[in-house]
Amino acid sequence: MRVLLALDESTQAMDEAVRLCRERGAALTALFVLDGNWSDYTGHDWLSGSTVRGAYIEYAGQEDIKDSERLAAELRARAGDLPLEVKLANGVVREEILKEAETGGYDLLVMAHPFWRGTATVRDTARDLLGKLPCSLLLVKTPPHDI
Amino acid sequence: MEDKRGAGALLAIVPGLALMIATFLFAQWLEGWLKPFTVFGFPEFFGRVLNLNYIIISIIMGVLYRNVLFKGTIPSWAADGFRTTRLFIKTGVIMLGSIYTLGGLAKLGLQAALLISAFVFGTVIFVMWLGKILKMDRSLVGVMGAACGVCGVSAAVATSPGVKAKPAEVALAIATILGFGVMTMFISPFLGNLLKFSDYQYGVWVGTGILNSGQVLASCLAFNPIVAPGTAVAYGELWNVMRVIIIPFVVFVITVWYWSGNKEEAGGQNISLLEILKSKFPIFVLGFVGMTVLSSLGLLGQEGSETSHLLRTLMQWIFGIGMVGLGAYIDFGEIKAAGGKPLIVGLVAGTTKYVLALFMTLYFISKDAPF
Repeated sequence: MRVLLALDESTQAMDEAVRLCRERGAALTALFVLDGNWSDYTGHDWLSGSTVRGAYIEYAGQEDIKDSERLAAELRARAGDLPLEVKLANGVVREEILKEAETGGYDLLVMAHPFWRGTATVRDTARDLLGKLPCSLLLVKTPPHDI
Repeated sequence: MEDKRGAGALLAIVPGLALMIATFLFAQWLEGWLKPFTVFGFPEFFGRVLNLNYIIISIIMGVLYRNVLFKGTIPSWAADGFRTTRLFIKTGVIMLGSIYTLGGLAKLGLQAALLISAFVFGTVIFVMWLGKILKMDRSLVGVMGAACGVCGVSAAVATSPGVKAKPAEVALAIATILGFGVMTMFISPFLGNLLKFSDYQYGVWVGTGILNSGQVLASCLAFNPIVAPGTAVAYGELWNVMRVIIIPFVVFVITVWYWSGNKEEAGGQNISLLEILKSKFPIFVLGFVGMTVLSSLGLLGQEGSETSHLLRTLMQWIFGIGMVGLGAYIDFGEIKAAGGKPLIVGLVAGTTKYVLALFMTLYFISKDAPF
C-alpha cells in the first residue's frame, strides 16, 4: 500500500497518515506544493507595478520554502523510523496534488480539511479533487486557524 | 511550467484575447438589443431601471466564464490572453490622463488629496484599533489596514513583505477585500441612480468609499460608460490616482508601526521612506500625468477634435475589453472561502468607509464639479 500525504500546517493529518502507514505497513510520501498561483490570484490587481508584484511573489516563495522545511522536519519527527519521502512541487496546489496522485500509483491520499496552504487556503481543495482522484481520499478534520 | 518567449508568447495571448474582444462586442450588441424592452410597465427597463450597460454585461460575462464555463480556473488556452487585463486597464488609465488639464487636476487634486488622506489614514487607524480589540496578529492587521485604507489588493501585496504576513493570511485578506469590492461594484451604480447623484458626486463617493481600485473603475463605468471630461470615470479615477500615490506612504507608516511592536525580533528592520518610495511608487501615475501635460499643451487635439474623439473611443474599447478580464478574475469559490478575523475587519471597516463616504457626498459635495 502507498500513502500520499498532502502537506500543510495540520499536525492532525500528519499523525493520521503516520498511524495508517504503521498499521498497514505502508510507505509514506509527503508532498509540499510551492504555491505558483499568486500571479493568477492577484490578477485583479492592475495597478501594482511589476516590481511590487514581483517582490511579493518572491517573498511568498521564500516563505513557502521556509514552511516546506519546517513542515518536513515536523513530519519526520512524528514519523520516527517510518520510511518517508518528502517531495516538492511547484504550481497550483490542487493541480500538483492531483498530478502526483495520478502518476505516483498511490492507494490513498491523506489531507487536512480545511486545507491550509497559500492561495489554496481560499478554496475548498478537497471538493476540487473529489471525483478526479485515482485513489481513495481520507480527510482529516482540522480546526480552522485562528487568525 | 512552459516557458513561452517571443512569437510563441504573442501567439499564446491570441485565443484568450479574442474571447475578451468578442465578448466586449457581444456586450455592446446586447445592450442595444435590450434597450427598447418595456418590463413591468417601465420603458427601457434594462437600461433605465437596472442600469444594465455594456460595461456591466462585460463584467458579468467574465464572471460567468470563470465561475460557470471554466469551473473556477481560467483554462491554459485562455490564461495568457486574460492575463493582458492588467495591461489593458493600466493603459486605459494612463490614457485617461488626456481628459484632464493641469489646471483642472490642480483644482480637484487638492480637494481629492485632502479627502483621500483623511479617509485612508482614518481607516488604517480604525483597522489597527479593531485588530487590537480582536487580538489579531500584528502582521495581519498591517495587511488589512493597508488593504482597507488605500486600494485593496495592490496595497495588501505592497505591504505584506514589510510586515512579514503569512501568504495564507494574505490570500484570506485578498478574498475578503474582493468579496466586499464585488458587492459594492454592483450596488453602487444602482444606489447612485436612486440618489440621483451627478457624475461628480458619484465619482467622489466611489473613489473614496470602494476598497479596490479595479472595482472603482468598473463601478464608475457601470454608472456612466462614457469616457470624457465631466463623467463619473473622470472624477472617480482622479480620486483613485490620488489614493494610489499615497500607497508608499501608507506602506511606510504601517511597516514602522509593525516593527515598533516587534522590537524583540532579532535584527529588526531598517525602514527608509525613500527606499519604499522608490520600490512601491506606481510608475503608471507618471504616464497619467504625462498625458495630462500633453493634453494641456494641446498636443492631443482640442476638445471635440477628431484626435480627442479617437482617443476616447479607443479608451472605451480598452476599458470594455479590460472589464471582461476583470470579471474573469472574480472567483466566487475563493470569495466564499474568505473568513476568520480578516472577514470581520474587512466587512466592518469597508462598510463604515463606504457609508461614511456616501453621507459625506450627500451632505457636503455639490452636484456641480469645479471642471
